[in-house]
Amino acid sequence: MSVWIDEKLCNGCRRCLKACPYNAVEVEEGKARILERCTSCGACLAECPQSAIFTDIEPRSIPDFSDRKGVWVFAEQEEGRLMPVSLELLGKASELAAELDEDVSALLLGSRVSGLAPTLLEYGADRVYLAEHRALKVYRTLAYTRVVSELIEELRPGIVLMGATTVGRDLAPRVSRRVGAGLTADCTGLAIDPEERILLQTRPAFGGNVMATIANRYSRPQMATVRPGVMEPRRRQGGKGRVIRRKVSLLEKEIGVKLLERVKEKRKGEALSRARVVVAGGRGVGDRTGFRALERLAAVLGGEVAGTRVAVEEGWIPQDRQVGQTGLTVRPELYVACGISGAIQHRAGMMGSRYVIVVNRDPRAPIFQVADWGIVGDLRDVVPEMTKRLKRVLGR
Amino acid sequence: MIRSDAEALVRKTMARFVDSELAPRAKEIDEAGEFPGEIFRRIGRMGVYGIRYPRDRGGSGGNTTLYCIICEELARGLMSVAAITAMQCLMGTNFLFHFGSPEMIEEYFLPAMRGEKVASFCLTEPEAGSDLGNVNTRAVPDGDGYRIDGMKTWVTNGPVADFFTVLCQTDPAKRLKGVNFFFIPRDTAGVSVSKPFDLLGTRTTKISELAFTDVRIPRRYMLGGEGQGMRNLMSILAEIRCMTAALAVGLQQAALNDSIRYAHERAQFGSTIGRYQMIQGKIADMATDLDASRLLTYRATRMIDEKISCIKEASMAKYFATEAACRAGDKVTRILGAYGYSMEYSAQRYYRDNRFLLYGGGTHEILRQNIARWAGL
Amino acid sequence: MNIIVLIKQVPDTTEVKLDPRTGNLIREGIDSVMNPDDRHALEAGLRLKESGGGKVTVLSMGPPQAIDVISEALGMGADRGVLLTDRAFAGADTWATSHTLGKAVEKIGDYDLILCGRQAIDGDTAQIGPQVAEYLGIPQVTYVFGMEEVKGRSMTVRRRIEAGYERLRVSLPALFTVTAEANSPRDPVIGSLLAACGAKAPIQVWDAADLGMTTAQVGLEGSLTHVIRTFPPKSQRAGEILEGSPAQAVEDLVGRLKERNLI
Repeated sequence: MSVWIDEKLCNGCRRCLKACPYNAVEVEEGKARILERCTSCGACLAECPQSAIFTDIEPRSIPDFSDRKGVWVFAEQEEGRLMPVSLELLGKASELAAELDEDVSALLLGSRVSGLAPTLLEYGADRVYLAEHRALKVYRTLAYTRVVSELIEELRPGIVLMGATTVGRDLAPRVSRRVGAGLTADCTGLAIDPEERILLQTRPAFGGNVMATIANRYSRPQMATVRPGVMEPRRRQGGKGRVIRRKVSLLEKEIGVKLLERVKEKRKGEALSRARVVVAGGRGVGDRTGFRALERLAAVLGGEVAGTRVAVEEGWIPQDRQVGQTGLTVRPELYVACGISGAIQHRAGMMGSRYVIVVNRDPRAPIFQVADWGIVGDLRDVVPEMTKRLKRVLGR
Repeated sequence: MIRSDAEALVRKTMARFVDSELAPRAKEIDEAGEFPGEIFRRIGRMGVYGIRYPRDRGGSGGNTTLYCIICEELARGLMSVAAITAMQCLMGTNFLFHFGSPEMIEEYFLPAMRGEKVASFCLTEPEAGSDLGNVNTRAVPDGDGYRIDGMKTWVTNGPVADFFTVLCQTDPAKRLKGVNFFFIPRDTAGVSVSKPFDLLGTRTTKISELAFTDVRIPRRYMLGGEGQGMRNLMSILAEIRCMTAALAVGLQQAALNDSIRYAHERAQFGSTIGRYQMIQGKIADMATDLDASRLLTYRATRMIDEKISCIKEASMAKYFATEAACRAGDKVTRILGAYGYSMEYSAQRYYRDNRFLLYGGGTHEILRQNIARWAGL
Repeated sequence: MNIIVLIKQVPDTTEVKLDPRTGNLIREGIDSVMNPDDRHALEAGLRLKESGGGKVTVLSMGPPQAIDVISEALGMGADRGVLLTDRAFAGADTWATSHTLGKAVEKIGDYDLILCGRQAIDGDTAQIGPQVAEYLGIPQVTYVFGMEEVKGRSMTVRRRIEAGYERLRVSLPALFTVTAEANSPRDPVIGSLLAACGAKAPIQVWDAADLGMTTAQVGLEGSLTHVIRTFPPKSQRAGEILEGSPAQAVEDLVGRLKERNLI
């Protein structure tokens, strides 16, 4: 079982190289070559304009899923409050359902949570499956898995979405394995392929260095967890859906886990990871006093100060303010990167920011590649100027 | 059968330690100028000090090649830590391991392997450096043991060591044939240690003078048979030279890495300096020097592991790699421009630390004489 | 307590570089390392063994080179290593991987606890732990950062959640995914590392046939999801350089922030 290239036909156009999700093609001296790590996935076959790629793999047959309909959203609640991601998912689900001409259902599990159902209807659910039980009061893997899996097996949806939260990332893989479905984690983009009418799931890989689009052709439902804060919630006028109550019977002993206590704790870096604005500094800030200027800018913007590993190692800011691979991952609305060259490890921690402003002396600094707006200049001039002007604009 | 390659695995393990623990703190450790006790003990817990000794006798079951790989990697992080480690693995413990009584093994050798005791080696005297026949520290039979009197200098780890292996003269008339190694614990009466020397490089390696005044030790503290000192020293001389060469290889690698990184980052006249041929020339010379040093070094270590005599090969490796390390220390400080002159950057440390390698294991003046002779002159 | 730790060899993403021209990942010359979270899982396992006895077995699936993470784990103190390697395993998604690992756990047998890292830095999916637990039909606790007492057939653990933490009592056997917060992993010991390279090392290597699996159940063929495209992520950003003096550039910037209601 393999894929090979007829050298005589290959013109070295490199399209196969770009198509390969596994980096298993190499072009040398004008000829493409398949490397050892090829998984025979066949992604290159259709791309070759010369039809120079051959395979002996038999195409895998796709089962008939025409009876699988409906887009489901797991409506996560904690202590009777809906997690924002649940409403964001309903917004996306409505969009996907419209394209498929199907409808949207929300799964609401908990104890005395029926009051949340109207909100779900308002934000796009055509139907809310409500499962209330004392054993569902606090999230526990096996209890939730059982209820969700039974609903899926009985009602056979085509798509199931969950938030990539602590709960969602615990529950989704468990459910997917139980119902025999493929699952894509931590998606930042979802779309329907117009021809195949399947869900295309896009997610970052390798610490955000690469985006990958993943399809789930061979099983249903197509399951994905979605990063909070990426999709837009959409409220609609007069939600007209229905609430359907489901009977639940659960025994404590089959849940395997008993909650002894739940401790609320303010954690280091929490303010930073939740900040709407982050002003971050790197080597270019120069010293501790340089960070004072960043602090003043952050104060005007109502944000938090952070730094790169270098800034932490130099002792300019404390360790719990480090952003990057070995520090925190932040996803603010606005990230202001000052004097940061943009090593990949740092970028991994801030790529999810909505908007990025870069101030750097070196126009070739890689950080500019992830900037929405860049200012090439000395941050000692630019940052105080920003502070001054914003103060005036914001009247602070 | 699928198994890891031992050399690659040990290198990777040490590289990880160097990159995550040692290199990030190298500047701080070097500036503090104190014996890095915590790092020393941690390297001990990793079983590094036993790399040359068999596993069933308290070692780690490695060989000279693995020993030198470890020295090289540590030197890439910080030369002084590498030097301290090199001492602990080889000169500081070798004769104790081979000739110590079971009680001495239990009380000193095994703790040294775990990093709980620091070992040291005393060869040089004020009047005897390369000329060891001139050793003046006397060991005189005295009742059931020996009485030691004399002075040693350039004792690596001197101020912090728990025990010393000391080259003494038992019969001055016999010159080289009269020298022997003796084991002397630090807490023996009559042992006094000077203040550490103020040094140009390897500033956390504590080096001092040692004075022995009427020091009395039992007979079993003589390591090796009567008159065997020089022979014993010769048995590890090639290995000492390989180790020094490996330290030089590590320093060159660090200097080359910093040079390349800087040449990629620094832009002048609208282009990174790495695009200029003068810089490329320096980098090419450093890379070639490094490769040649590495080949010479590990050719010799493999000969030692195969028990092939290789004093010529080891001497060439030590000579070439050390000179190359000096060149690398020079080049890196040029490539970095004025930053090479700043104490903020590591380049200056490579420039200073490379000098440490010139003296131990034979000066190049002597080595070159010997090499010329072996070449047939 | 007999513990199986699932470990993975991953590219060292701290070294991952992008080709500045194509934006593609350069994978050549990048070191492979033990996944950082897995190292914490292994450390947790070794500490449990030290306090309560038992054995630690490490299990990994990957190419033959992945033997290095097994050797390293033995160097840290694991008692036995199992490497699952087979050309047919390549391209596996989490479905196929959890199936394969699950089969191997069953073949190892006699376990009280399975530990794995919270997630792997190359995939970041955090799915393997729960999926293996489901395959085996045992309880799971994810995001574990503290292990308290073992009492008979149950154990008390601390689980990190957004608002703080939970203390849970779990019946054994169970599977935990462990976070970096749990501990600081020990260095490997050179002597044990060298022993792990020897012929007599307690390492077994199994392929699909050893697990009683067909090629249709493993690797790409046994997967339910497939990567159909990869691309560099930067395209989403406008990347506009604001020209002029600092004052002009800043004025320009403030205008844009206002436009988007960012201030």
